Amino acid sequence: MCASRISLLVVCLGLGGCDSGPSGDGGEQLVVSAAVSVSDALTTVSDAYARVSGVDVLLNVAGSDTLATQLINGARADLFLSADHRQMDRAEEAGRILTSTRVDLLTNQLVAVVTTDRAHTASGIDDLLQAPWVRYVAMGDPDAVPAGVYAQRYLRSVGLWDAVQSKVVPTRDVRAVLAAVESGNAEVGVIYRTDLAVATMVRVAFAVPVHEGPRIRYPVAVVADGRNEAAAQRFLSFLRRPEARRIFEAAGFIMMGEAS
Amino acid sequence: MISAELGRVAGFSVVMAALATVLMFPPGIALAWLLARRPFPGRAVVETLVSLPLVLPPVATGLILLRLFGRRGPIGRVLDEIGLDVVFTWKAVVIAMAVMGFPLFVRAARSGFEHVDQRYEQIASTLGASPIRVFLTISLPLAGRGVMAGVVLGFSRALGEFGATVMIAGTLPGSRTLSTAIYSFTQTGQDGPATVLLCVAAGIAFAAIFVSNRLGATG
Repeated sequence: MCASRISLLVVCLGLGGCDSGPSGDGGEQLVVSAAVSVSDALTTVSDAYARVSGVDVLLNVAGSDTLATQLINGARADLFLSADHRQMDRAEEAGRILTSTRVDLLTNQLVAVVTTDRAHTASGIDDLLQAPWVRYVAMGDPDAVPAGVYAQRYLRSVGLWDAVQSKVVPTRDVRAVLAAVESGNAEVGVIYRTDLAVATMVRVAFAVPVHEGPRIRYPVAVVADGRNEAAAQRFLSFLRRPEARRIFEAAGFIMMGEAS
Repeated sequence: MISAELGRVAGFSVVMAALATVLMFPPGIALAWLLARRPFPGRAVVETLVSLPLVLPPVATGLILLRLFGRRGPIGRVLDEIGLDVVFTWKAVVIAMAVMGFPLFVRAARSGFEHVDQRYEQIASTLGASPIRVFLTISLPLAGRGVMAGVVLGFSRALGEFGATVMIAGTLPGSRTLSTAIYSFTQTGQDGPATVLLCVAAGIAFAAIFVSNRLGATG
């Protein structure tokens, strides 16, 4: 008896306390599904946008593959910022984004990192990855994680993939790459230049020249049947304005040109 | 600012885990009792189904839930028509937690029922007590320890749930739990807040197990 009364109380408290949800208190809100690698910079951009527009931007941060799967299954969001085209394509094929709003927002650069205490200086990527002290190379899973997809594509293009493949440790995300390198479990990690912001114990041993590397593009699009398409479109436009550009570039991103 | 957010996340997680435990209690008790007492056709299948979330990778369970409760899924579609959104809300958190905690709850409660001496139940029946009354006044209290252990296990599992939650509830500020917040913070290199939440999670887990052990000792 008593137990059931307590559980009833818990239910009431729970329902009352948490009903605000993503559409609760007054001010306009936007839900943005964003790839992990842009989340830091995007948080700053969102804060800046909140100051000028009063719109509260809520970030749903995960790997782009997870975000696309959520959208395809009908998750409510207003904007999707993916770390690669493949996941955006999946959402587009499922009719979950407004194709006319899709635009490439950012590019990034691949870098190979080692721990700061390693003296090695690499003259090239082959010299680095095939060095005898390199037993493991950590990178995002080439089957799912965009950073890994790009890394694999680059290594293929320079004819190194077959030689290096057996050393590759695929990870769930870039953070895991850093963890593997920082803990000494992998000697080399391949990440984005922008990921250096969250790294403390690594340095760049080799940076893939932008013109030689794969075309890393972060597309953004308004989600279909979102609650507020007009507001989503306004935020998307803001992402390409100088205020946002400064923040993205400070984080190490390269903005895509105006042509779309 | 950040500490208020951390407190909110911790409180939210505890309330959600409690709600999930409440949600799994009625069906869990019924199923535990059935499995312990009534051989029925297909019992082995039901047993296996219930244990599935224990064995499946949580992300896979999350994907199944997303398929079911997404607005294009069989359950989500119906809920959408009455204006109920699940994915990315606190409801998604409760569902993920309840599904993941359910097998542990049922297992413990079932073993509780199995240890009840059936003679007491038979005596009560011969004295004219209805089956419901026998269950509520004899079986349930005597299985109390097992049920209580189930509640604690289910609650703890719910509190620690990550894989399914991140899939169906996302990492939005409004549906962020201890686990998904720790994930978000480490992803963005905010190790400080992540460590604080880690300590909070450890503290809550410690308290839950401590209390359950005390209950076991005196009950």
